[in-house]
Amino acid sequence: MDFFEEQHRARQRTGWLIVLFSLAVCGTVIAVYAAVKIAVQSAWDVPLDQWSGKFWDGALFWTVAAYTVALIAAASLYKIRAVSASAESVVLGLGGRPLDPNARDPYERRLLNVVEEMAIASGVPVPAVYVLPEEPGINAFAVGLDVSRSAIAVTDGCLKLLSRDELQGVVAHEFSHLLNGDSRINLRLLGLVHGILVIGLLGSMVLRSFGRSDDSGRRSKTSGGGLGGAIIFVGASLYVIGSVGVFFTRLIKAAVSRQRELLADASGVQFTRNPAGLAGALKKIGGLDRGSRLLAARAEEASHFYFSEGMGRFTALMSTHPPLAERIRFLDPAFQGEMPATMHSPVALEEEVPGVAAAVPGARGIAAQPRTVIASVGALTDQHIDYAQSLLARIPQRLRDSIREPWVARAVVLALLLDANPETRAAQLKALLALGDPQLADHVSRASAALRTAPAEARLPILDLALPALRRLSSAQYGELRAAVDRLIRADSRIGLFEYTLQCVLLRHLAAHFEPKRPEPAGGPQIEVVGALSVLLSMLAHAGATDPAEAARAFEAARAQLSGDRFFPALLPREKLDLRALDRALGRLRDTAPRLRGQILGACVAAVATDGKVTIAEGELLRAVSDSLGCPMPPLLPGQHIGEELAAPTARAG
Amino acid sequence: MIGWIVLGVLVLVVVMVVAAYNRLIELRNRYKNAFSQIDVQLKRRYDLIPNLVETAKGYLKHERQTLEAVIVARNQASTAAQRAAAAPGEPSAMRDLAGAEVALGGALGRMFALAEAYPDLKSNTTMNQLSEELASTENKVAFARQAYNDAVMAYNTGREVFPVSILAGATGFTEARLFELERAVEREVVKVSFA
Repeated sequence: MDFFEEQHRARQRTGWLIVLFSLAVCGTVIAVYAAVKIAVQSAWDVPLDQWSGKFWDGALFWTVAAYTVALIAAASLYKIRAVSASAESVVLGLGGRPLDPNARDPYERRLLNVVEEMAIASGVPVPAVYVLPEEPGINAFAVGLDVSRSAIAVTDGCLKLLSRDELQGVVAHEFSHLLNGDSRINLRLLGLVHGILVIGLLGSMVLRSFGRSDDSGRRSKTSGGGLGGAIIFVGASLYVIGSVGVFFTRLIKAAVSRQRELLADASGVQFTRNPAGLAGALKKIGGLDRGSRLLAARAEEASHFYFSEGMGRFTALMSTHPPLAERIRFLDPAFQGEMPATMHSPVALEEEVPGVAAAVPGARGIAAQPRTVIASVGALTDQHIDYAQSLLARIPQRLRDSIREPWVARAVVLALLLDANPETRAAQLKALLALGDPQLADHVSRASAALRTAPAEARLPILDLALPALRRLSSAQYGELRAAVDRLIRADSRIGLFEYTLQCVLLRHLAAHFEPKRPEPAGGPQIEVVGALSVLLSMLAHAGATDPAEAARAFEAARAQLSGDRFFPALLPREKLDLRALDRALGRLRDTAPRLRGQILGACVAAVATDGKVTIAEGELLRAVSDSLGCPMPPLLPGQHIGEELAAPTARAG
Repeated sequence: MIGWIVLGVLVLVVVMVVAAYNRLIELRNRYKNAFSQIDVQLKRRYDLIPNLVETAKGYLKHERQTLEAVIVARNQASTAAQRAAAAPGEPSAMRDLAGAEVALGGALGRMFALAEAYPDLKSNTTMNQLSEELASTENKVAFARQAYNDAVMAYNTGREVFPVSILAGATGFTEARLFELERAVEREVVKVSFA
């Protein structure tokens, strides 16, 4: 699966949805117009046979159209806004409980570990994890507009009845939804359905309020005529139109959703290389008497997010998920269709063994070639998961546990920014003291001591681990953290690459959570794509090079990755580059089409890897750039040296 | 035509009311969530205190009253915390919890003040570890409390703004109470250290 192709297709699909939906709106407008016209005519007692030819009434049509469209648009936008405001509200609405970071419960621990492994392996911040304690069925869902603001929730049944492999399969399936941006499409669909739904609601409201009061009045009048009858007719029509519209838009929504589910199953297997896990989870759902059904009253609202069908459905057409048996056969061709009855007692737990730390060789030479790296974006393999497991195992357990608490997470993030040079460090701590909290500097230096026990390549993963806790700060505390980050970075009057990397990742993900309506970054006029590319690639070329000639070679290698003659970036001299320019460049490039972003990322990898080695710092920078471009990149796997392949980048392009 | 306009305005009003209601729910969820963070830390603290007292007992043989006072205060605070966790922000529960916490802080403060006079206890490793852990948990409580108070403040402001206040009054969004301790006592506890 190619992340960028997939994103490209997702955009096309969204385009189609808009066309389909516009058709639905047109149909609705015409139907409403017809209803209103008939009502108006009958209210003025125009006999049926005099209607012909006068059916078209331009002024009335445009009025009706304007109101209908405005109503649908307002309702859609409102719904989309309400649901996208926070993933949190969706989960809490379903009775979700945030997982206690200090959970001693072994099942909760296991879930937390599985989610963390998957997040580190795919290079995204760890999402917030919730359980639905009141739900005995087996189901799970992921919500969130993007990876910075996402949450994963599992039911109680999912937590306790599945084996670790099965749980991993389910979590991988949900991660695939997050990485593929399915939530975004789902959200739009939800909004659109709601827009049409409101027409029906309006109809039933009119019926209810006028129907009763008019009951007595109607008897006194002659039958069929009068304003009251007309209004009731319009109300009934609106109700019918709304219901029919909702039926069709739901069909569209369900059809799209079924496709996405199959894709998520496929990616889930690709991530874990273990079809048996996912198939096992599905079989357990099939064997459980209540299956994946949810009990919460508001379960329908999020139906398309679920791992498996959350509602009882009458027909296959309305199902948001393909039938269980079909999904299982897709993973396990030998499946005969018989679901063994699922035990109601929780599975026995094996002890959570930290991954084998010794399995990872020293991370000095990292394999990196544009093709493989691009292919890895938004996807991960069992190797990535193994790597994540062993990396996590080498982070001391104490640090790993405590970083799930906001208070510690804050200190650890600041400690990551402390310089190795004692002088700079002292200046930085002094800058922290100036913020007015005498304890903060002390905590940060203690956290820094704890950090030294973790391997260097775990720095970015540690940040990913800290993000869920940081999302739980209050806005005021977030403001303080931002100020402290700012102080630390400016204390040594120059911004290093790692500092920049960290700031990028941290602020990008936290700002998405705390400042959803972020104003465009101030800083000069919009720049051209070519200019942005020049800045980005020059920066990377210089970062790994010792002399200008090497930088030029790296830049050439990068440019070779860009197809066609559309873009001719130029190598800028080192003096002309600063991080502000890089910031602006990344901001511009983030808005480009997915396919182009794939090429840009390939060029970045080439620029960094052309000298035959990728240092940890370069790897981190690469991942931060990728992250800033909105493409989550799994960690570069250490151990394999880059061979001749990279010496001849052009040979690969064919 | 006028009928349509009235209808449009009506729809707009309904949409606005629903939006305001959802916003209130979200704000309330947020502060409740923030309270669960405090709760986690408080529980950990209540678990630590008996161990601490157990360790100190061997040295402070003649100070039984002080030690018992700590345990009593700890039990009261623990009960109050359970009640507050069942209804975060509920004024009487929050007031009780704050009162119990202040009392516990005072009792602990007296115990540590006594301990100053016992050099053996001061150099006991277990005691040092426990009091270190207690101090760090205090910090976490304080931090979580700040987050909770911020969230409560946002909720209270949200429900008092004019048109929303009518809705809030009608739908039972009552005022939530801040979790505030008297500062003098709080400082005393945090400063404790055996070095």
